[in-house]
Amino acid sequence: MDGTFVPAEATRCRAGSRGFGGRARRAGICLGGLLFLACGPATASDPHQPYIPSTDAVVLEHLPSRGDPRVRAFDALRQRRIAAPRNSGLAIQLARSYLDYGRATGDARYLGRAQAVIAPLLAQRNPPVDALLLQATLLQSRHQFVASRQLLQAVLRRDPDNSEAWLTLSAVALVQGDMREARRDCMHLLTQADALVAAGCIAARDTVTGHAREALAVLDALAPQALGAPASERAWLHGLMADAARYRGDVARADREYRIALTLAPGDNFLIADYADFLLDEDRPREALVLTRDYPQSDTSFLRQVLAEQALGLPQAGADAATMASRFADLERRGDRRLYAREAARFALTVQHAPGLALQLARDDWSFQRAPEDVRVLLEAALAAGAPAQARPALEFLAATGLEEPEVRALARRLEAALHAAQERRP
Amino acid sequence: MSRRWIAWLLVLGILVAWPEGAQAHKESDAYLTLGTDLQQPTVLHGQFDVALRDIAFVLDIDRNQDSALTWGEVKAARRDIERYALAGIAIKGDGLACEAQPRGQAIDAHNDGAYDVILFDVVCDKEIPSRLTIVYSLFADVDPYHRGIVTVRAGANTASAVLGPKTPSAEVDLRTPDRWRQFRSFVVDGIWHIWTGPDHLLFIVSLLLPAVLYRRGTSAAEAVALAPADAPDATGWVPVPSLGRAMLELIKVVSGFTVSHSATLTLSVLGYVDLPSRLVESGIALSIIVAAANNLHPLVTRRAWVVAFAFGFIHGLGFASALAGLSLPPLAMATSLGGFSLGVELGQESIVLPFLPLAFLLRRTRFYQVGVVRWGSWAIIAVATLWLVQRAFDVVIPATGLITPS
Repeated sequence: MDGTFVPAEATRCRAGSRGFGGRARRAGICLGGLLFLACGPATASDPHQPYIPSTDAVVLEHLPSRGDPRVRAFDALRQRRIAAPRNSGLAIQLARSYLDYGRATGDARYLGRAQAVIAPLLAQRNPPVDALLLQATLLQSRHQFVASRQLLQAVLRRDPDNSEAWLTLSAVALVQGDMREARRDCMHLLTQADALVAAGCIAARDTVTGHAREALAVLDALAPQALGAPASERAWLHGLMADAARYRGDVARADREYRIALTLAPGDNFLIADYADFLLDEDRPREALVLTRDYPQSDTSFLRQVLAEQALGLPQAGADAATMASRFADLERRGDRRLYAREAARFALTVQHAPGLALQLARDDWSFQRAPEDVRVLLEAALAAGAPAQARPALEFLAATGLEEPEVRALARRLEAALHAAQERRP
Repeated sequence: MSRRWIAWLLVLGILVAWPEGAQAHKESDAYLTLGTDLQQPTVLHGQFDVALRDIAFVLDIDRNQDSALTWGEVKAARRDIERYALAGIAIKGDGLACEAQPRGQAIDAHNDGAYDVILFDVVCDKEIPSRLTIVYSLFADVDPYHRGIVTVRAGANTASAVLGPKTPSAEVDLRTPDRWRQFRSFVVDGIWHIWTGPDHLLFIVSLLLPAVLYRRGTSAAEAVALAPADAPDATGWVPVPSLGRAMLELIKVVSGFTVSHSATLTLSVLGYVDLPSRLVESGIALSIIVAAANNLHPLVTRRAWVVAFAFGFIHGLGFASALAGLSLPPLAMATSLGGFSLGVELGQESIVLPFLPLAFLLRRTRFYQVGVVRWGSWAIIAVATLWLVQRAFDVVIPATGLITPS
């Protein structure tokens, strides 16, 4: 197989640069170039070299553990569904457990599996509301925010008191940068859901609109009530507290809350990514590495691992960075740029030291996502690329929303100074 | 008030401040490579890499249920894996009937884990036709986001496609391209690029206008050599004494231009250089202004070829725009680039060669020295300035459609 597989690899890398129109195409070419470099060594010592393992006992792959109750639960549901393929309740339950597992672990395959399970329900003339809600969540996970929002609005026309729909709608509005709508959607929960969830929803939105202190006070007040709540709910509240504390600049408190949240929801993909980012910001890469290294299947976790390895100057940093680049290349070839633009921008900026490419990716990302991470990567890329004017939309967004995260604020100040200096020079 | 959905949403992270903060994962891909065989025209050799994680989801290959897949377990499941995976692909074309025959099994480490490698032959009842349809349906029923990355090779010719439930099939054309025909078509493209691109033409013409003339007093030795009839007049120009001298000057200019524009054309097409087209196009317009202005108020008097060489770099980037997006295997790339460059040269020569004798004959006339060189240069400057404004500031100037390069 020696000589035969290499050209296919080369084609594969090249193909990554196609398929984008207009502005994105240029970045596609740059990205293709970078990825091409990442794939370059393939011709010298091909990592894609089929081989025969030395003994039968060699472990090739670790599957989702049957010791995990979530895995046992969906395995059991799957068996039951084989016996009753037309039972839509069972299908929805199974799809939910796949989605739950996929999002919690960062294993994207389970999102596709959930989609396959609800596909027959969605093909019905009048799909069940639960199937539509699942579909909206899947669309959100695939970063199809506009489609997700439309579907949720359709669900709410049919069922105006559906708390789950309001909550998901709020989450989508938030990531689209529509803070006012996000908070308004939370208000619908006050009458429907229990007070804890509604207050948490509102506090989370307040945290990112310049009211972290009030949000933290509300969350502290809720804490005694939360003691009897399920572990996942408590993990969520502590995660919110960690965010609010971080926004307040209370590093010790944030650290403590992240740890509590992680003991309540061990291995949670979102918490790991958030806490790892916090540790990297705090210049504690060793702890970030320990936190992330057991979850290489999740691209988000793996990116933080690569960032930590680089910060520590570890020998495996280069090889892992090449793996990360080739995963991005695979997503690009699939046409899934939406799924990774934010991460790729950060990777281009910090690992590949390509600020121009990072800026292009960050701007693509900004065209559909406006979470604090998106704000931050656009500010960082514009600053590194020496193009402060490119950060204007993010600066205007900051001014409008009052986002007060310390790192973001510091970046914004530097950019405003750069813009001001540029204006001085041009009388 | 059911807490069940709340708990579910919480695990989903929907209630977390930024649920999308952590959405970017390796999706399910499989890699299918097919290649023709010169010795066996009815056979395609195939390699199909399928993730063990995907296989384990549909087939019970973890025999001892310990969630750790060993090579022993994968080997034991070989037949089942082959049957399942090869049923997910079909090769069709012109009444062709084919059968996939497994030939071997191996493991391949991809960037997201271990893949089972199925080595197989596609054995058909007739010769493999040049146009093939690949139909891909693997995992379509369990994961609509799964994609099959298909690469088909016939000799040096490669075709690829990304297939999934929404686009389950692709037609590939395996015909070995006729290199000579390909070459000729690029030669024609190159010629047309020059003929239809007045900007490159005007640049060369600006440099060539004075090829049959000398600037007064450029060299004492030359001044002495001049016949009395050729004494410099008010225009500042003196005619060259021989056609040979004019020819030499012309060869230098054209060669200088060729060397530099070929270099940037190649670098740009291969993707090593990438400048914004606005910059390149404005640069080209500027180069024309400079070249024509030099005929009026000379800065460079004797080495016009240096100007040609220097500005050739930017013109090469302009030529490359005609080949934008070209992404071919090395041999095809060399053919196309070579053909296009030759075409550009032929296009240039077709202008330059008739120009020289005509200019040589007219070189002593006032018509040439004043009418052509002076007013011609002014006209060129006017047109190129218009282009520069249009290109640099991205504005459309009304009623200039005829002289605006497409």
